[in-house]
Amino acid sequence: MRPSRAQQLLVTTLGVLVAAYILAPFAWVAVSSIQPEKELFSVPPHWVPRILTGDNYRFIFTGKFPAGYTETGLLRGRISEKARDALPALKNSTIVALTVAAANLVLGVVAAYSFSRLRFRGAGALYTFVLASRLLPPMALAIPYYLIVARLGLLDRYGALILIHSAVTLPFTVWFLAVYFRRVPPDMEEAALVDGCTRLQVLVRIVAPVAAPALAAAAAFAFMFSYNDFPFALFVTSTIRSQTIPVIVSATAVNPDVSFGVVAVTVVLTMLPPVAFALLFRHYITRGLITVVTTR
Amino acid sequence: MRLSPRSIPMSWKARETRYAYATVLPVVVLVALFTIYPVGYAVSTSLREVVLYRPASTPFVGLKNYLDIVRGDFFASAWGHTLTFTLFAVPLATMLGFGTAHLLRVRSRLAGFLNAAVLLPWAIPTVISGIIWAWIFNSTYGAFNGALYSLGLISSYIPWLSRPTSALFCVLFAHIWKELPLTSILYVAALQAIPDELYDAARADGAGVLATLGRITIPLVLPTTLIVVIYESMVAIVTFDLLYVMTGGGPAGGTSLISYFIYNRMFTSYNFGQGAALAVILALSLIVFILVYLRVLRSEEVYRE
Repeated sequence: MRPSRAQQLLVTTLGVLVAAYILAPFAWVAVSSIQPEKELFSVPPHWVPRILTGDNYRFIFTGKFPAGYTETGLLRGRISEKARDALPALKNSTIVALTVAAANLVLGVVAAYSFSRLRFRGAGALYTFVLASRLLPPMALAIPYYLIVARLGLLDRYGALILIHSAVTLPFTVWFLAVYFRRVPPDMEEAALVDGCTRLQVLVRIVAPVAAPALAAAAAFAFMFSYNDFPFALFVTSTIRSQTIPVIVSATAVNPDVSFGVVAVTVVLTMLPPVAFALLFRHYITRGLITVVTTR
Repeated sequence: MRLSPRSIPMSWKARETRYAYATVLPVVVLVALFTIYPVGYAVSTSLREVVLYRPASTPFVGLKNYLDIVRGDFFASAWGHTLTFTLFAVPLATMLGFGTAHLLRVRSRLAGFLNAAVLLPWAIPTVISGIIWAWIFNSTYGAFNGALYSLGLISSYIPWLSRPTSALFCVLFAHIWKELPLTSILYVAALQAIPDELYDAARADGAGVLATLGRITIPLVLPTTLIVVIYESMVAIVTFDLLYVMTGGGPAGGTSLISYFIYNRMFTSYNFGQGAALAVILALSLIVFILVYLRVLRSEEVYRE
């Protein structure tokens, strides 16, 4: 049955409204980042920017103050200077998130495979324990995490974030991949074992290539959790040595004296990696999200 | 003849078992370090008086922290705000997700575009989405005020984030934006699982759009609805990041949901004993949701591929 013109119009209108709701905030912040400070404060706003400038970006990358800064005083300059920590913070975030993704791919994959294929004493209990751990509310864990990290001598180090983020993401990875592995028929693997392969060889040579999409999704989830984490990073980092991008951007953004245009630049830079990731791995992520929420 | 260890073939079974433990233990140990110790620590702290200015003296006080917290002024209001927020957030995220899922399934260029765009709010850090929405609702340069002003609906900008009730709704707006990707994707999967023949049959019987929706679609996506409602409730109850960047729990504690209240006890009042007691209460309340959630997942097998 062909939908009527009125139905088509309704669907299109609703689609445009939803697209606007989803995308307007991205557009607003992107447009804000390429306008001079003064323009952003006009009432009502210029919906189509009148003056475009790369000054805010140049400030983040080179430290050269945009024109008009001197009027607002030295204090503001110093506060906005803090926003330049965005670049090292992006580096910190990327290093930590990539390491967490790699840890998930190594530790998570072998553990998930063993849980799904091998029978050993306590397997059920250990699996349930690992899964149940992810259900504790983060705020209940944050303070003890701080103390563990302090005792390990890892305060304000990458190591602290990598350990915490791995501990939080690994249960997801193990669960997600164990579900996936169980669906793969074991015939090929059994044949390889009879031919004298070890379990690890079977996993690396036979299972991993077949499960590559699931592995990509698991790595993407781990990367994005680590990159996006806020409360844990807030508690265990204290200087730019290890502070991640959500910590730096939120610290600068909540300060009322900061330049709005400059923070808009840091927000845009922060969003680029996860947005690129999401678009690149779209299909894996969509399937993965469904599995994660709906499978036990 | 000497036997080197290598020449004694370890039994197949023993080797498999050893391999299994070697691969599983790193994950189990790491997870245990970051769950068992923290939970034990939180419980033990919650039973003692632990305040910043007396770090050396942490006497055991039994349930005093729990009683002080429950009897205190902000406990009831923090739970009240949390429940208000949850009661709005869950139905809105669920219904909007259900509706958006229909739009995502249309065959059109717009729907193809929406399918890519819908993931984006989920992808970016929650604090970043909070920062953007706080700007949108800002009282001096916010786009929301600007839009209402341009349309002639208001004559001067309104400080949305400085009034307790409207501030909670601003956070709600940002929260729904963040959750919409997940709920709509789950509903897309649920809708795909409904066989087309059912709709064909309904149409042949002359059923209208509403009858089809009420008799076929809604009952058949019910398992997904249950999962979405319970999952979204858990997410709404532990909301923290948005509050941190959008309102700081204010104004007048109007957006101090339970997680923010815990944070506040810990880092503004520095009363770690009470903060830990609150954390234990929150964890126990969530366990109720979790048990129901697992129950639902176990009983529903619609997602078996």
